Amino acid sequence: MTGTASRVELPSGVRQRASAPFGRVVGSELSWILHRPRNLLALLGLAVIPVLIGTVLAITGGPSGGTGLFSAVAGNGLVLPVLALMLTQNLLLPLITAMVAADGLAGEAANGTLRGLLLAPVGRVRLVVVKALGVLLMVVLAVGVVALSGVLTGLLIVGSDGLVTLSGTTLPLGEALGRVALATGWCAVQMAAVGAVALAISATTEHSLLVLIATVGGLIVFGVLEAIPALEWLKPIFITADWYSISDVLSDPIRWNDLVDGLWRAGCYMLVGFSAAVARMATKDT
Amino acid sequence: MRRRNIALTASAGVAAGALGLTSMTLPAGAQSPQLPQVSADELVASVMESDPPALAGRITVHNELGLPALPGAGEAGELLSGGDKSMRVWYDGQQRQRISMSNGSGETTVVDDGNTVWKWDSAERTVVKYSHGESSQGESGTKRPDAGTPAAPSEIAQPSEIAQRLVGKLRDTSTVQVDGTASVAGRDAYELVLTPKPNERTKLREVRIAVGAESRIPLRVEVNTNGSSDPALRAGFSELSTGEQDAELFQFTPPEDAKVRTPEKPEERSSAPSRQGSSDSGDDNRPRTEGTGWDTVVLSRLPENAMRSSAGDDEQSAPGAAEAGGTGVRAMAERMGSPVSGSWGHGWVINTSVGSAVLTSDGRVAAGAVPQQVLIEALRDS
Repeated sequence: MTGTASRVELPSGVRQRASAPFGRVVGSELSWILHRPRNLLALLGLAVIPVLIGTVLAITGGPSGGTGLFSAVAGNGLVLPVLALMLTQNLLLPLITAMVAADGLAGEAANGTLRGLLLAPVGRVRLVVVKALGVLLMVVLAVGVVALSGVLTGLLIVGSDGLVTLSGTTLPLGEALGRVALATGWCAVQMAAVGAVALAISATTEHSLLVLIATVGGLIVFGVLEAIPALEWLKPIFITADWYSISDVLSDPIRWNDLVDGLWRAGCYMLVGFSAAVARMATKDT
Repeated sequence: MRRRNIALTASAGVAAGALGLTSMTLPAGAQSPQLPQVSADELVASVMESDPPALAGRITVHNELGLPALPGAGEAGELLSGGDKSMRVWYDGQQRQRISMSNGSGETTVVDDGNTVWKWDSAERTVVKYSHGESSQGESGTKRPDAGTPAAPSEIAQPSEIAQRLVGKLRDTSTVQVDGTASVAGRDAYELVLTPKPNERTKLREVRIAVGAESRIPLRVEVNTNGSSDPALRAGFSELSTGEQDAELFQFTPPEDAKVRTPEKPEERSSAPSRQGSSDSGDDNRPRTEGTGWDTVVLSRLPENAMRSSAGDDEQSAPGAAEAGGTGVRAMAERMGSPVSGSWGHGWVINTSVGSAVLTSDGRVAAGAVPQQVLIEALRDS
């Protein structure tokens, strides 16, 4: 016991001296992500989507009647960001999240730079934390860009000075923006869960493409399984199970059940994904 | 060594996360609570006395009635047409209430502020406004012959009414007993079970009503049928909290750009039969009942014009009614039902898990929670 303790003591003392400051490592990772052209292009593309939807709906006047949020957008611009999040979170946002997660570990492994990182004086847990923070930053940026672009488009092009909820009540601008922020945050948590799982996959392979395929493919498989009535009992474990319920923030009062379930589920996925990534990295040979 | 510890901790994290996910698939643990004994009479009496308190909750309706989709039945049809539905309800303890039902990404909200009933449909962006007197008339007008099953929305909204009506009517034809306890929406409840007496010819096996041990309001109604272990209908609270409700919930201001209209259809429907009745001689159109208790059969006659094809009855006084109700009913019966004939005539029968209905070619309707044979006997006798 004492033997192990002293053996641990020495290298940690050495590391103490040589360890790079955590803040600087995180900073360099984040700026690395922000300087990668494809990430910036992805953000730009995401920003265009709500503008596109809003413009088309403003020109055509939107579908008359029918279900879905599309009919609720007409003249009710602050529904647009929620609609845009709902449309993008099924495939586009997970795709971008998985892309960043793939770059983080699998990409580095493919370039041969991961070896350097593993040998560098940064603990392996810290390395995963840094990479996870990078993915999280991208998730927040991506979701935020969609929401912001949606709000601006909604206010400027579709036009509105409040929000008519799905329950027929009218909310003032401030509260309406609060609802949009809630939807944005909720979506970001879901995407962070996807990111954590993608990071775990990323830690096991050195092929970036595999991470993309596994993540997005997994979501598609969930979607297919959800449609099978016999697997109804399995549904609560699918990360996608409650994704449609993001529109519940537009009810008045907010319908919390499914939203809270979704948060709990996302939390579980985050724990699984992050832990798996750490476990893989800790046992990885340099 | 240190790395192995990290890997172990991380594996534990994976396991914990997986466990959390699995726990979501498990149904909420609902073991039967221990409650002091109470006799059926006491329980029924306390239910009769109790008034529903101010509450907010979610009612889940699980429906395997096997009813065909009814044309033009609106919300009632939607609720009856199978599957799981859930709606949120608020009640202020007196008379104001709010019901909100989501469908897809839209929502239907009904607000009763004491004087006016507002019905908002988010998909259509329309508000229908009833003043209080009209609304009750409208409700009864939209009821279908088989809406007597305890699933009509107005009754679900007030579970206490179902129980009071059922208990009063069924005491002499059924065994009423308290059979065990249940946990409904996190509340302890007694299970009041109504079983038909052996000589009742009905498709129903039993009706279970879970009565809250404290509040003494019915929390859940289950209808079980012969030959099935799953209830054909289960309507009850899946969430419930009592206490003062925000007064704003019971107010409704239509959104600026929404279409607001006052109802036309329900009025048309409710007035059409009476007009018909006055011009025709008999009061044949009035629904009457045959038999008592569980094997009650409701006999009725559709308006004359309803059974003809819509072409060529321009001279009829209420083509609208025929359009809305009659031809729809006949077409539906032909589509959904199977033809039957006998000494009483010829018609179509629709069988569901809780009951059956017969529409004859001359416009008579018989329906009840009974096997088809009982309906045909009733038709023959009438």
